[in-house]
Amino acid sequence: MAKRQKRFEVLAERPINKDGFIKEWVDVGLVAMESPNDPKPSIRIENGVVVELDGKRREDFDMIDYAIADYCIDKRVAEEAMAIDSLKFARMLVDINVPRKELVRLSVGMTPAKLVAVLRELNVVELMMAMQKMRSRKPPMNQAHVTNVKDCAPLLAADAAEAGYRGFAEIETTVGIARYAPMNALALLVGGQVGRPGTLSQCAVEEAAELNMGMRGFTAYAETVSVYGTEQVFIDGDDTPWSKFFLASAYASRGLKMRYTSGTGSEVLMGYAERKSMLYLEIRCIMVTKGAGVQGLQNGSISCIGVPGAVPAGIRAVLAENLATVLMDLEVASGNDQTFTHSIERNTARMLMQFLPGTDFIFSGYAAEPNYDNMFAGSTHDCDDYDDYLVLQRDLQVDGGLKPVTEEGVIAVRNKAARALQAVFEELGLPAITDDEVERATYAHGSKEMGDRNVNEDLRAIDDFMKRGTTGLDVVRALAKRGFPDVAASVLEMQKAKVAGDYLQTSAVFDENFNVISAINHPNDYEGPGTGYRLTGERWEMLKNIPRAIDASQI
Amino acid sequence: MTMQNDISPDVIEAAVKRVLSTLNGNGAAPAASAPAASGGRLDAKKDYPLAAKRPDLVKSATGLPIAEITVDKVMAGKLSFDDIRIRPETLEYQAQIAESGGRPHVASNLRRAAELTRIPDARVLEMYVALRPYRSTKAELLAMADELESKYQAKICGKFVREAAAIYEQRGRLKES
Repeated sequence: MAKRQKRFEVLAERPINKDGFIKEWVDVGLVAMESPNDPKPSIRIENGVVVELDGKRREDFDMIDYAIADYCIDKRVAEEAMAIDSLKFARMLVDINVPRKELVRLSVGMTPAKLVAVLRELNVVELMMAMQKMRSRKPPMNQAHVTNVKDCAPLLAADAAEAGYRGFAEIETTVGIARYAPMNALALLVGGQVGRPGTLSQCAVEEAAELNMGMRGFTAYAETVSVYGTEQVFIDGDDTPWSKFFLASAYASRGLKMRYTSGTGSEVLMGYAERKSMLYLEIRCIMVTKGAGVQGLQNGSISCIGVPGAVPAGIRAVLAENLATVLMDLEVASGNDQTFTHSIERNTARMLMQFLPGTDFIFSGYAAEPNYDNMFAGSTHDCDDYDDYLVLQRDLQVDGGLKPVTEEGVIAVRNKAARALQAVFEELGLPAITDDEVERATYAHGSKEMGDRNVNEDLRAIDDFMKRGTTGLDVVRALAKRGFPDVAASVLEMQKAKVAGDYLQTSAVFDENFNVISAINHPNDYEGPGTGYRLTGERWEMLKNIPRAIDASQI
Repeated sequence: MTMQNDISPDVIEAAVKRVLSTLNGNGAAPAASAPAASGGRLDAKKDYPLAAKRPDLVKSATGLPIAEITVDKVMAGKLSFDDIRIRPETLEYQAQIAESGGRPHVASNLRRAAELTRIPDARVLEMYVALRPYRSTKAELLAMADELESKYQAKICGKFVREAAAIYEQRGRLKES
């Protein structure tokens, strides 16, 4: 153009126009919810065996088809469920007169193509209505990422403490340098229990290493156990449904909570989408998860969010995949994880899809640190957004899982966490955390304010610490010996949780008194207005009272 | 285990006794034999959470009641890591709770898990790796199934690995022998 229109010049500079968009491209699977190559729903059962699934005969099954047919689908209800008109079932999902229990009974009789056909009938408001009803645990909650670029342990402990204190039910770390994993896990274990007793912590690394840390008692749960929707991508991920099923049982055998991870777009990114829609492939992941008997799933595209984010109705598909997860009666940690847009407006709109209805974990990674320190490639929301988030809860009277805090309170728990970890390091023979590091971690915004630790010295000590066979009990002893009896008791409670196994049940977390809150004893009982989770009473009093609100009686 | 250096010989002896009594008491596969104290199967509404409602049933792998897992005992060097491990009976109880709550899939996973409690950590990790694609020949997987069944009485897991061997063969995901 010879001459630009000035409004367009301004628009071109807006953050939204730094985002990438692409028109639907079926051949590579760049299509959200409906590809012409998606199979038509069908099932045929002979002598209790699925012999045809979505138009494919058993002899042509791939590994994922076998896993779904033999482990997920309930053969006793399949014919009944498949006979229900998809539109009718979609209406049942939003009908307050059809209880959750009935939908869950039928959903396991459906095939992936059938579930996609149902979900296609729902717009985003209906998907949210269904989410409100179908989520398995009654109170919604939230998960934080706790990481930093330097793998700086005292800062991790302080951030973990603040995250627990602010209300995150689960905290997740990962590493810059892989060998740091046990130290990062230890920092979250100690910091999390300082911030709020009962906070569940995990360290996302390679599968076998992650299990090993859980077995030692440094982590309480695991989440990054990935499953995929096509066989080739599953294999490229270096697993099969059978290895992943076995891993799931291995976690449970050590009393560790676990959920799988999947998400729309992963098959496109890895190059084998088989020309199917992203949602169809994701439903296959959800059904593999169900078949494994794993209690929950992290999805909502997660690290592949740029892919559905770029195509039409992609963010609707992300909500649909969250809904499909709870429809299969699984816990959902519903994304809002990796950064996908430059636009604050778009970022918030995407988040509202899970925030408004409430999910088991609205974020499966709210960054409890500044974004530059988020080692999961950034998150949609970070520590600088806390006050915005608290106001959204207050404006809309929605429980997003966080609570208002005071600066004094945050300083206190950050300091205590760093000091507790300092004591543990000394007792366990890890390189010292200095008083200066404790002070910096207490008051830091992020790792830029921290000094550099001696990485080689840390890594050598970590290797030695693992070789010596250090366990969660050694952490308990160190804390008790060094004047942190309350933290010692909490860390021991986390170990005892693995003996009782109550938190292996669906959607389980702990409150600050180590009472388990799960879909078993706090089932979602939403059946329309006046039922289900309501933000009222003490909790609402707490959430509405943000520190900056003016109190007329004090004027 | 890590605490050996700090534990007195009589504590070790006591722990060994507890382990042995647990083993002797569970000749059959615990997954199939775990009796609910009430005589029936556990119920999600009445018995969950186990730690609060059925502490009588919750014991560690060494047979230690959960109430006896205390910071004082940790400090006195009286607990080993096996004292804070879950035991197969507990996983069976949780499987029953999952079932009565309408979650048979979860129950199946917990029953496989109950079998895996009998296998050392390192061997469990090796078995997982052996099930990854192209890691094992068919014969190796079948040998692993035998090991699960005969050495660890892990019948469900043994069957599961045999099934994997057949499907890996069909789909060309075995290691070239």
